[in-house]
Amino acid sequence: MRRSALIAAALLASVLAAAPADGAVRARFDTRLFARVPPPGFPAMAYVHPNGRVYVGTYVNPGGDSSRSRVLEYDKTGTLMRSWTVPGQDLSKDHGVQVATSDSKGRLVLLDRTPARALLLDRSRGSFVQYATFPDLAPCPPLQARTDCSPTLEDRPPMANYGVWGPDGSLYVSDFLQGVVWRVPPGGGTATGWLSDRRLDGGEFGTTGLALGADQRTLLIGQGSSAGLGALNPTTGKIYATEIQPDGSPGELRQLWESQPADLPDGFTIARSGNLYVPLAGAANQIAVVAPDGRELERFPGSSGDGNNGSPVPFDTPSSARFLGTRLIVANQSFSGNRDNQALLDVETRERGLTELIPGLDRDPPSLSRVALSRKRVRAGSRVRVRVRFRVSERSTVTVRVERRVRGRWQIEKSLTRRRTAGRGSVAFGTRGLRAGRQRVVVRAEDGAHNRSRRVSRRLVLR
Amino acid sequence: MNDGVLSRRELIEAGALAGAGALAAGAPDADAAKRRRRRPSRRHVDVVVIGAGFAGLTAAHELMQDDRSVLVLEARNRVGGRVRNKSIGGGEETETGGTFAGPTQNHILELAAEMGVDTFPTFNEGDNVYFADGTRMTYSDSGPTGTAPPDPTIIPDLATVVSRLDEMSKEVPVDAPWDAASAGDWDHQTLEQWINANSASPRFRRLVPAATRPIFGAEPRELSLLFTLFYIAASGDERNVGTFERNFNTRDGAQMFRFHGGSQVICNRLARRLGPSVKLGTPVSRIATAKGRVRVESRRYVVTARRVIVAVPPVLAGRIRYSPGLPASRRELTRAMPQGTLLKVTAVYDRPFWRDAGLNGTAVSLNGPVNATFDDSPPDGSPGVLFGFVGGDEARVHRAKSRADRRAAVLASFAAYFGDAALRPRAYFETDWPGAKWSRGGPVGIAAPGVLLGQGPALREPVGRIHWAGTETSTYWNGYMDGAIRSGKRAAREVLDQL
Repeated sequence: MRRSALIAAALLASVLAAAPADGAVRARFDTRLFARVPPPGFPAMAYVHPNGRVYVGTYVNPGGDSSRSRVLEYDKTGTLMRSWTVPGQDLSKDHGVQVATSDSKGRLVLLDRTPARALLLDRSRGSFVQYATFPDLAPCPPLQARTDCSPTLEDRPPMANYGVWGPDGSLYVSDFLQGVVWRVPPGGGTATGWLSDRRLDGGEFGTTGLALGADQRTLLIGQGSSAGLGALNPTTGKIYATEIQPDGSPGELRQLWESQPADLPDGFTIARSGNLYVPLAGAANQIAVVAPDGRELERFPGSSGDGNNGSPVPFDTPSSARFLGTRLIVANQSFSGNRDNQALLDVETRERGLTELIPGLDRDPPSLSRVALSRKRVRAGSRVRVRVRFRVSERSTVTVRVERRVRGRWQIEKSLTRRRTAGRGSVAFGTRGLRAGRQRVVVRAEDGAHNRSRRVSRRLVLR
Repeated sequence: MNDGVLSRRELIEAGALAGAGALAAGAPDADAAKRRRRRPSRRHVDVVVIGAGFAGLTAAHELMQDDRSVLVLEARNRVGGRVRNKSIGGGEETETGGTFAGPTQNHILELAAEMGVDTFPTFNEGDNVYFADGTRMTYSDSGPTGTAPPDPTIIPDLATVVSRLDEMSKEVPVDAPWDAASAGDWDHQTLEQWINANSASPRFRRLVPAATRPIFGAEPRELSLLFTLFYIAASGDERNVGTFERNFNTRDGAQMFRFHGGSQVICNRLARRLGPSVKLGTPVSRIATAKGRVRVESRRYVVTARRVIVAVPPVLAGRIRYSPGLPASRRELTRAMPQGTLLKVTAVYDRPFWRDAGLNGTAVSLNGPVNATFDDSPPDGSPGVLFGFVGGDEARVHRAKSRADRRAAVLASFAAYFGDAALRPRAYFETDWPGAKWSRGGPVGIAAPGVLLGQGPALREPVGRIHWAGTETSTYWNGYMDGAIRSGKRAAREVLDQL
């Protein structure tokens, strides 16, 4: 019996060890399989929401398919929670979505390939609304770079690729094929060209990642290649920087970093340190780390090409990276269509990501103070009415729980939820049904953005 | 038995009441009216959970951990749903429902560990038995066919069919099988039609029901090919692609582990954590949504809440009255997804005598009534316990027989596989899941052709303030305890996003 129990324990340990263990210290670049992405697959961008969950859209199958695109939701452990099917796509053409960001209400901003549009997905209702459309620009006249035309050598359709919020609530969106960065006005609508530059002409491998710097003015723009001959070396990718100037116009476009030939840098992200983590979706199949001054610091894995990262799934067209704590969630697109490699990978970096700017998003929890209990006897009996008084810093939902210790664990005996405005407030409850003895009253406030105060506990003794 | 096995009278009543849409409310005779003079107790909570199986208990636990007030209403007088322990004396328990866990079922394994319930390996030392038309052979499951028998007349078809099913299942998205590229084709044929078109051996075609009966409680003709492929795809997790082998095998498969004290202990301990929030013997008759609230009615309680999670199989969810009525697709789903027809039969012996002959207690048989058996003995092998599955047509045929005739037929099956000692158990019992009022079948809701395409999206889609849980709604390990736990977590997350 003991032997079988030991075998079971060992087997169970090996089974459970397959999941990333929270709290375990991982080496830098330790890579694990976060989750495989079900068909139709081709995950191009995994977005880490402020709620800590990961959202990924299924993107274009270069071989063509007729499956509608879906958005999948994973929790922080990689457990698939929910999914939503994208409506209104033209399935006869290339179709796919990327989850670019989220808004102050927690809705996901999706960039759709066909039609070229941005959608808002309300996760709780499962509803989609159109937020923006991206026009098909006519080619600019020779030697002219205007924002109402495409500076590319060849006339190509729009292809919204990555998006970030600006401080004023504008949404900036890169266009993979038309050599422009779009600006969608606050509240949505038709996108207009914000930045147009010959250097953003990458032919079929154009403008990719976008990120806003810590100063909330500097916009970093990834370029997969310069195949449109807008820069000296057409085979290399670049990261450019520009400023969102006080009047909203773009500043000068300057090159921050240049990749190796055929690297195809894609959806990069910024660490708090300012380091950039740049997935290389081309021949390299690596993640490059670029310092804030543009120096390339290192690449992982060390050898280029095979993508062998030590996990069961090698890097295979790694297309985007986003921070989840100190982990990078990398979307492995596998452009060649290897279903086994279409997955999200979890790469430990030992540093934290820069907090994403989401205009209007309330990240501050309410504060709860001066919590006190008072009691009043009801009629002549032994029942009493307990009033919990407190002060809360903003309009909140206040939860009051009465708990009793049973077999070493606190068990909820009674629970009340009330909405209260900022300032002093109280919640009262009767003790009918509660048992005599020591209990505790736990109070907590939660604001409209689901930020929570710390729990405050007070002892309650009932006779 | 407190599991609500239906009597003939109850069946008639339930049928009539279902027409009126009130499963829980009995015929209003004078005695009942007296009993019901006591008004139901009124409660108000954040969330009501209907069903105290793994799904409901997990959802409630998740919500409570998030500081939400919850009330769990369970029709039976016990928790566990399709998971139930039965004492076999000497302080030992066996399971009459969900029993096993295996690799990639991390949610049930983690929950068991959290509840302090240890696992031990299913006894698997020695050979399996394969029985076909009076011929018995033994084989090791460490061979290339795993638990499937290495019968030379079926091996070519077995290899081809299993590998093709595994490959096809890779194209089925577990979260939306109805969106598979070939969903239209695959959901318009039964598994039987596909098997007949893709195999040559008549004996292999007879082996297929021997697998579908224990797995689904159904015949291949009752199962949509798309549903079968989804079930295979779901036999894995986010990191490991589902395969038929992982579903069917004991070694490295879904039958690899058992739980000390029986799987229901996990539910019991989880329910204990929830304390007085779990109300037993409280079948829900009606769910009404109005004025931004949901009102859940039972004889004992009328509960108002912000949200409700219905954590029972579709077939039972369909017997609750809803106001306003459910959308057509959801209503049709509850009619179109019946539970499988499965009996679990168990014989207890002084010792596991089959082990003396180098057998591990696992048998696969082309002949009924029992098509599959397992060794269900306690970890120290005392007493010896064998259980078997009687499913699909075999269950339908044998449910109609007397208990004595059924017992004789089952023990004859056991004897054919393991020797005449099997004819003399010290105890014998059977669990008729189709007759259990609050299960109405098992182990899982099954989908015939057209159901997934037509009503599949309604499986998880919330209807206003009503959310759906239960293993039938799970993306991975659908039909298993692990899937139920996953569904409870998912439904809790849906609700928390709304509160």
